Amino acid sequence: MQSLSEKVRVWDLATRLYHWLQFLLVMGALLIGFFGPEWFLDAHVYAGYGVLALIVFRLVWGFAGSTYSRFSSFIFSPRDILCHVRGVLKGRPSHHLGHNPLGALMVFALIGVLLLMLGSGLVVLGGVENQGPLAGFIGFDLGVRARFVHKVFAYLLVGMIVLHVMGVVLESRLSGFSLVRSMFDGNKPRPDIVHAAGDGFEPAGNADDMAGNAHPLPDVPARTGRAILAVIVSGAVIVGAGVLGSAVPASGFIDLPSNDNYSSECAECHMLYHPSLLPRDSWLKLMANLEDHFGEDASLDDSVTQDIANYLSTYSSEAWDTEAANELRTVDPQKPYEITATPFWKRTHARIDPTIFETRPVLSKGNCAACHWDAESGRFADQKIEIAHGQK
Amino acid sequence: MIKKALVLSALLAFSAVPAQADPRQDILDQLAVEASAADANFSGFSAARGEKLFRTKFGTGKPATPSCTSCHTESPRNVGETRAGKAIDPVAVSVNPSRFTDPAKVAKWFRRNCKSVIGRECTALEKGDYITFMMTQ
Ligand code: HEC
Ligand code: HEC
Ligand code: HEC
Repeated sequence: MQSLSEKVRVWDLATRLYHWLQFLLVMGALLIGFFGPEWFLDAHVYAGYGVLALIVFRLVWGFAGSTYSRFSSFIFSPRDILCHVRGVLKGRPSHHLGHNPLGALMVFALIGVLLLMLGSGLVVLGGVENQGPLAGFIGFDLGVRARFVHKVFAYLLVGMIVLHVMGVVLESRLSGFSLVRSMFDGNKPRPDIVHAAGDGFEPAGNADDMAGNAHPLPDVPARTGRAILAVIVSGAVIVGAGVLGSAVPASGFIDLPSNDNYSSECAECHMLYHPSLLPRDSWLKLMANLEDHFGEDASLDDSVTQDIANYLSTYSSEAWDTEAANELRTVDPQKPYEITATPFWKRTHARIDPTIFETRPVLSKGNCAACHWDAESGRFADQKIEIAHGQK
Repeated sequence: MIKKALVLSALLAFSAVPAQADPRQDILDQLAVEASAADANFSGFSAARGEKLFRTKFGTGKPATPSCTSCHTESPRNVGETRAGKAIDPVAVSVNPSRFTDPAKVAKWFRRNCKSVIGRECTALEKGDYITFMMTQ
């Protein structure tokens, strides 16, 4: 049993809470992102907003927190870092009460990568899904590029988390006390006392050691009041910007007037397909072939046919910048007006058990509304997917 | 000519409701005119022939739709279903009194469905028989 005097309060309560909340939210977002179904998108996005709030807090706390939470306590010179690496390689790293130089690098790198993930994530959300505060500003193409960046950073983040955990395990081994535990109770043993007890640790003042923080740093009190104020102000700015941005209509959508002929004639045998789901050429071919429409006669009067053809070609996928319009624009040349024959449709629906399409209540691949609640709006939001929803 | 006129007036006389007030009867009357123009021996529509049309598996139209029952089900009183999974209201007049009351709709669907099922348009006789059968259902 160590006596109280042997321990130093290193991590204040706020930093510990921050650390574990961050752990939970980042793990949640990663798990949903990698393994979750599309309709968990909201949870993924809210986890992201949560991480943003935590990082805002951490940045403020880096200037206003107590001694070891301040960035100034763990900014090291390259020499210090090299020296620490050398120590680690020899199995006798310099001891630090707060973050050691490698740990400190990891803290900054994690915050940086998380910020990049948040930024790219918002661009994907706005550009590809036409949702969130950037929906009014980002086009599909940029969204797709950001999706690539978001993915690459996600893998990088996983790698960094693995390294972070390995670092913690290594230092805990070498120092003989659990860093995980100190992230719970906030305390670390005083290094000078530990070393006097003669473990394998490099004592302070050794030639390889650096003028680091092996001895307790002078106490700096947390400025909680100012920190709260700063968090509230920056939070209000961010939330305000988000609310303003979200009020701008999504850039992928245009106003779609309804057409009486289209809504009455083309919804008799199946749902009313949104005009954005096929390109102009495809609609014109379909309208020219109504006598043999997917194995049925769906013929109409010439004037009605003409009116519907005009309507569909005006509002065809070329007029939209949604994910569905962009992706379904590439059709199968053999089946130019079969949405469910497009390469994108086949790819995105490949993992669905084929029997679902043949059984009640779906009955047909073309019955989009049986799984996409918002199919008639052309949105096809991830959150609105539910296989064989609601109907009987 | 005289015979035709006789048949027609007989048909009109048998209809219980005045012609103007009953759009379905108007449609039947029009079909009767066409049917007697096509066949001088026309002597009225038959629910039995209509039922046969409804239930026959033709196999001469498009492969996916061998029979009217493919979509309207074996019982006209049931809710039917298109191949794309959309519900079709029952076609029996007793269950769905608005059936066969809009001439354009009736013409459109006879044209389409007969071509899909039989591979040709239905004759006026077949159409009249079909509606007559549905009126008994
Ligand atoms: C007589 C019934 C009928 C009518 C009327 C009809 N369709 Fe269809 N349509 C079908 C059938 C059957 C399919 C085959 C798809 C299926 O099995 O779900 C189909 C498929 C489609 C598809 C392809 C869906 C896919 O699976 O990729 C499009 C697009 C389409 N129809 C558009 C139209 C348009 C536009 C109109 C109006 C001019 C129209 N349809 C009217 C019966 C009809
Ligand atoms: C049996 C249910 C089902 C039917 C029917 C269905 N979908 Fe889907 N769709 C899904 C599922 C599930 C996903 C998500 C697949 C994944 O990424 O794992 C999806 C994904 C999509 C996406 C991509 C959405 C995104 O943001 O990633 C689009 C676009 C789409 N479907 C369009 C259609 C269209 C158009 C139709 C009708 C012609 C249709 N779907 C019919 C179940 C269905
Ligand atoms: C491929 C499916 C399908 C087949 C097969 C089919 N029908 Fe229909 N039928 C429909 C649909 C869909 C409607 C229009 C929806 C509605 O009226 O509720 C309809 C409507 C009709 C109507 C119009 C009814 C009205 O209220 O005016 C007539 C008449 C009709 N069908 C006759 C036939 C006949 C005769 C056959 C067989 C030769 C047949 N149908 C076979 C799908 C089908």
